[in-house]
Amino acid sequence: MTFNFNQIDQTRRQMLGRVSTGLAGIGLLDLINAGRGIAGQSAPESVHHPAKAKRVLQIFCPGAASHMDLWEHKPMLDKMHGQPMPGEENLVSFQGKNGNLMRSPWPFVAGGNSGKAISSMLPHLSKHVDDIAFLHAMLSKTNTHGPGCVFMNTGHDSEGFPSAGSWVSHALGSENENLPAYVAIPDIRGEPPNGKANWSNGFLPAEHQAIMMSNQMPIRNLERPGSIGVGAERDTRALLDQMNQRFADRHPGQSELQARVAAYSLAAKMQLSAPEVSDLSTESAQTLAMYGADDSNRLKSAYARNCILARRLLERNVRYVNLYCASRASGVDGLLNWDAHKTLKADYERHCPVFDQPTAALLSDLKRSGLLEDTLVLWTTEFGRMPTHQQGTTGRDHNPDGFTCWMMGAGIKPGVSHGATDEFGRRAQSNPTTVWDFYATVLHLLGFDHQRLTWYHNGLDRRLTDVHGDVIHEILA
Amino acid sequence: MPRYPFIVLLCWLVCWDCFTTGSGFSQSVAAEGSGPKVDFVSQVAPILREHCLRCHRPGNAKGDLSLATIQSLRENDFILDGDAANSHLLELITGSDDAPPQMPADGEPLSTGQVSIVRDWINQGSDWPDDFVVQHESKGGSDWWAFQPLRSLPTIDDDSNPTETIDQLIDESLKKQGLQRNPAADRKDLIRRATYDLIGLPPTVQEIQSFVNDPSPDAYAKLIDRLLASNHYGERWGRHWLDVVRFGESVGFERNNIIDNLWPFRDYVIRNINEDRPFDQLIREHLAGDVIDPDQPDTIIGSAFLVAGPYDNVNNQDAVQQAQIRANTLDEMIRATSEAFLGLTVGCARCHDHKFDPIKQQDYYAFFTSFAGMVHGTAPLASDEQQSKRAALIQPLEKQKREIEAKIAAQKQAVLERAEVNRDVYESRWTRPPVDRSGTTESFPAISAKFVRLICEAQDINPKSASGFRIDEFQIWSDEPKPRNVALASAGGKASGRARQIEDFPGAYGPQLTIDGETGARFMAVGSDLTIELGETTAINRVVFSSAMDEPDPGHNKFVFVADYRIETSLDGETWTEVANGDDRQPAQTANSPDGRVHREHRLAQLETTNDERAAIDDLQKQLGLINDSIRQIPTLPSAWVGTRSPELAKGPFHVFLGGSPQKPGDAVVPHSMHVFDHVANTNSHAQDFAYQLPADSAESQRRLELARWITNPANPLTPRVLANRVWQYHFGAGIVRTPSDFGYMGGQPSHPKLLDYLARQLQQHDWRLKPLHRMIMLSKTYQQSADYREAAASVDGQSQLLWRFPPRRLSAEEVRDTMLQVSGSWNRSIEPDIRVPDGGPGFRLYHYMQDNVSTYKPLDEHGRETYRRAVYHQNARASIVDLMTEFDQPDCAFSTPRRARTTTPLQALTMLNHQFTLDMSAALADRLKQESDQLDEQIQFAFQLCFGRSAESDEIQPCRDLILQHGLVAFCRTLFNTSELIYVQ
Repeated sequence: MTFNFNQIDQTRRQMLGRVSTGLAGIGLLDLINAGRGIAGQSAPESVHHPAKAKRVLQIFCPGAASHMDLWEHKPMLDKMHGQPMPGEENLVSFQGKNGNLMRSPWPFVAGGNSGKAISSMLPHLSKHVDDIAFLHAMLSKTNTHGPGCVFMNTGHDSEGFPSAGSWVSHALGSENENLPAYVAIPDIRGEPPNGKANWSNGFLPAEHQAIMMSNQMPIRNLERPGSIGVGAERDTRALLDQMNQRFADRHPGQSELQARVAAYSLAAKMQLSAPEVSDLSTESAQTLAMYGADDSNRLKSAYARNCILARRLLERNVRYVNLYCASRASGVDGLLNWDAHKTLKADYERHCPVFDQPTAALLSDLKRSGLLEDTLVLWTTEFGRMPTHQQGTTGRDHNPDGFTCWMMGAGIKPGVSHGATDEFGRRAQSNPTTVWDFYATVLHLLGFDHQRLTWYHNGLDRRLTDVHGDVIHEILA
Repeated sequence: MPRYPFIVLLCWLVCWDCFTTGSGFSQSVAAEGSGPKVDFVSQVAPILREHCLRCHRPGNAKGDLSLATIQSLRENDFILDGDAANSHLLELITGSDDAPPQMPADGEPLSTGQVSIVRDWINQGSDWPDDFVVQHESKGGSDWWAFQPLRSLPTIDDDSNPTETIDQLIDESLKKQGLQRNPAADRKDLIRRATYDLIGLPPTVQEIQSFVNDPSPDAYAKLIDRLLASNHYGERWGRHWLDVVRFGESVGFERNNIIDNLWPFRDYVIRNINEDRPFDQLIREHLAGDVIDPDQPDTIIGSAFLVAGPYDNVNNQDAVQQAQIRANTLDEMIRATSEAFLGLTVGCARCHDHKFDPIKQQDYYAFFTSFAGMVHGTAPLASDEQQSKRAALIQPLEKQKREIEAKIAAQKQAVLERAEVNRDVYESRWTRPPVDRSGTTESFPAISAKFVRLICEAQDINPKSASGFRIDEFQIWSDEPKPRNVALASAGGKASGRARQIEDFPGAYGPQLTIDGETGARFMAVGSDLTIELGETTAINRVVFSSAMDEPDPGHNKFVFVADYRIETSLDGETWTEVANGDDRQPAQTANSPDGRVHREHRLAQLETTNDERAAIDDLQKQLGLINDSIRQIPTLPSAWVGTRSPELAKGPFHVFLGGSPQKPGDAVVPHSMHVFDHVANTNSHAQDFAYQLPADSAESQRRLELARWITNPANPLTPRVLANRVWQYHFGAGIVRTPSDFGYMGGQPSHPKLLDYLARQLQQHDWRLKPLHRMIMLSKTYQQSADYREAAASVDGQSQLLWRFPPRRLSAEEVRDTMLQVSGSWNRSIEPDIRVPDGGPGFRLYHYMQDNVSTYKPLDEHGRETYRRAVYHQNARASIVDLMTEFDQPDCAFSTPRRARTTTPLQALTMLNHQFTLDMSAALADRLKQESDQLDEQIQFAFQLCFGRSAESDEIQPCRDLILQHGLVAFCRTLFNTSELIYVQ
């Protein structure tokens, strides 16, 4: 971009470029300025280059899921278990002092044709390693959960910035005008650290916020109140439509009034579509079993049902689905999420079975149906954990200096591991990648140059990738 | 020659908020070959600046090379004076046939012409003027319009009518485009527009009628004066200001705890705006109210502005991270301050000089020094007199309290000393090993039981408490050849016991965890017992219980266990038999007391205390209780979230943080005014005392006060311009500058520069009071013109930026909700004429607040009557979503919101149609209509008057009648609340 235009022009330019469509909303100012008529008729930002991915599924395991206990095998930890970590004998991290090196409580097992070893706690996911591109040398810039989650979701470690899903909604709009472009599916255990800031639209218009829904929690205010009958609703809507249309007709030059009429009709469509997408009764017994949707572990069955919901949303062309497995830091570390400070073994023996089978089933389903060809799957967490145990415990403290995320699906080279931490898992060593690189890659696959997808806010043209980011070409197919 | 390859280090760029760089700016080609003498400053320096400096500069010296001065180039042999051919620099910037040049690493190679300039310059001796430093130059210089002094208008007489002047200036711009203003608006539209504008509420039916029928020529002026005098004016305009100062009532970030004592700042804003106090004074109070009048709580509270933003309150033990978090906290204050008052994005100069505006990193850190002592939190908000009065009352009581406490301690000590003498006797009874967190077994003669319970008498870490212990499994074994654990839920067992609760995840610590056959998760007792009811009455002879079974480190504090306990059984759940206890166990050993001393002393005291001693201690405890009651009866000092001031943190010296990193201190910084105005001192008569600089060891209070004075100094052109522009924006929907908090290069140019300066000067001349400004703007013909749309005018100026019509607007979220309350009669000034403004006390909540280490805000499905207050009194928490408010673009207060978005979405429709609040308001409006009349048509007419300020036209009535006859008045009212006409102002 260039800087030699004045702000008024720039603001106008932004508005002109940004008419969004679909049920998540219609930007009022967009409509006024664009003068392109009503939602659903005009394309949002045009892509910068041909896209590989049409939609994104982002799975998020909040609490800092340990890389060396799930994804990246560190045989040195077995060898040097109980010995001080060379060079960092007196390490003080987020919660305080660290003890000696601690091996992972479970063996790693090779899977697939590639023989990629991941934790034996993830036997179902092990079957997918040939399709995954692991990023083993991710970096965060904070060691605190809230800022970390927000950083992983927005590219900035303070609140108020738009999440990746909002940027994608802004860039691409919706393909299904009866459903939101961007859905966040929180876990039954609650919201992740920093809560709703993780799927916030930040300073992008409200239409780009994620709609919250899950199998346990329908979209708010979706249903007609029980006290209002079908006939009353129909006649109310008819009168309302008439009054609003009359008002719009009498006030030409205020396209937002037409937009409002359209918004009510879109809302009605959503009232029909959203319950349908949430209704799992049409799923076969076999499918339900594959996901573990009726498992006696209610955390697992709840997450499994959310996985099925995610698939159904993607099938209906929802642009961005943000699926959470676990929630916040409760009063007891590691109880509600992956934050295993004190008792790693017990904590992960609770979390892994919830996560493993349903997630693997979702991946299998996407692959079987062909949806994976143009769906990009991301697995993320806010940072990693230390190779040492925390002093006086059998858990691990926060480690922002190296952790694992992965991608799979549209445009991704299958079965590769890019980057590595050192022999203990302490620091990203070879081919480090940042959150900004991660999203530069995501946007690249969606057809966008991350440097050119911007929004003016309080003095700056803001980006999902801040002022950083390089596409990780090594994991592109 | 030696080689110094560029080592591309993994550079952790610490740049929090920067700029978006684009492709470079092409340089004009100067010379080919060994041409004329190259001028370093005009020819070479620009090349280094544009192509090299981003990576190679102090604080971010990639490859250990900085190109800011020649020193580093010479030291590393990148340049050999006079010998370009052997200078490594030239090799790096020159490509060969098969390879592009190595440098610049990012971006386009230098042009042939640029390479020639560098080559010639080296060959000519690489002359670099002494002390010349290559620095980034911002795009906008100190000659940028916003930094210039306010202009007076030669064509306008000083005594001319300001309202006419406004029209004159607007018309000038319109005329240039061949446009003209609309005629005056309809009176009904006008009163609706002005009333919403000034007080954020619809006019009542009576107000409309009396205005429409008022024949006097000053009817409109009287209307404006009445509205400006209304106490609801401060609620509306205070809300605007609260947006600007990012006022929010939770701390944000991970914990996001709610703040219950920041509301006095909200009330301060509303009250002062109502009283029309000079705004420059308010700004000074925002930054230094505690310094200006330390004895006046009403002034001190202004400085809560500094701590009204979000901050990270998680206690990080990592010193590097903690320093960064602290710097982030101050950064938030710096941004809030510079954007709200100066309309400058000073925050962009945190890591490097501002890319676009002439703001140096030194300027940023001068702000930093001013706020360095500020710490978020609660502090007393009381005058010295109040404080000493309270101290006088409380001190004698505190003294008595200490005396009694000493007596109790002495009594206990005496008991303990005696017990030590008898210790051997007691200890000889403690024959069994201590409790074991990994599994403690009690065996007893077989007994038939339907219920078994564990009663805790002392827990192991703090034996004075009998609760807070944890149990991961509680096993009850049957008396049979192959014993079974009959406690298990799978065997029919049921567990009960008061447990710690998490509201949105019931059972997270529940007693059921003790009989699920799995370890790892545990019951956390809030009471002192755990009871298991067996599936059927069974003969049992053994129990095993634990808090850390299978744990490698059972000693951790996470596994608090019982120390003294009893096991009891029952057949009916009423009559209990003790079958075991831990009295004969050795004292519990814990991490904080590995030799069991804590538990032993607790036991010895219990055993040794005589009944008389116990009575004496009880008596002392009673006295203590009475004194504590008396202390509680003395009213506590008022306090509020104004932050504390830490002399320790405020202590210098301060430095620039290179690249924004507290780990890389650069040049020293002292408190000073921004350098961009240095030139003003020479050109402005006011400017004698404008610029300031304080010594490094100046008082923290002095630093804030000087900054406040500088911001509001009459010679500072930014502050009045920014404020006048905000006022204009809230009246017309868009400012004269459309980026109200950014008057820099990336922001906007004023659409009407003369008007902006005129308004800014008027503001200063009226002693920085807003009401005169409102009055002159609202009395203008520009403001009073109709909102009618004209195709021809729109084709020239579609957004009506030049104001050929009054721009219609949608109501804000607060106005939408307040209107529903007002129209339905649920909040009614005629019913409660004495509504207190500001209303005092914490705001109401449209969410349910839950806290379990971190906070969760769950929107309410029903809004009770206690929420029928104006929305400005809602306790707005960060990162929360509130029905109606969020949908109608009430911003998250993570950032300052100088101008709200205005979206139209299907979610608005869903909320307005289906949320219980709409249904409640519809029912209330229906009642109101019925009270007004029992005639259908009159009800319809009254509803139209209330909602739209007009009568229903004849063709509108029949469809309404049909709906009411078919489905009732409530359905009709629900329709009205969803109409566009209700929420649009023309």
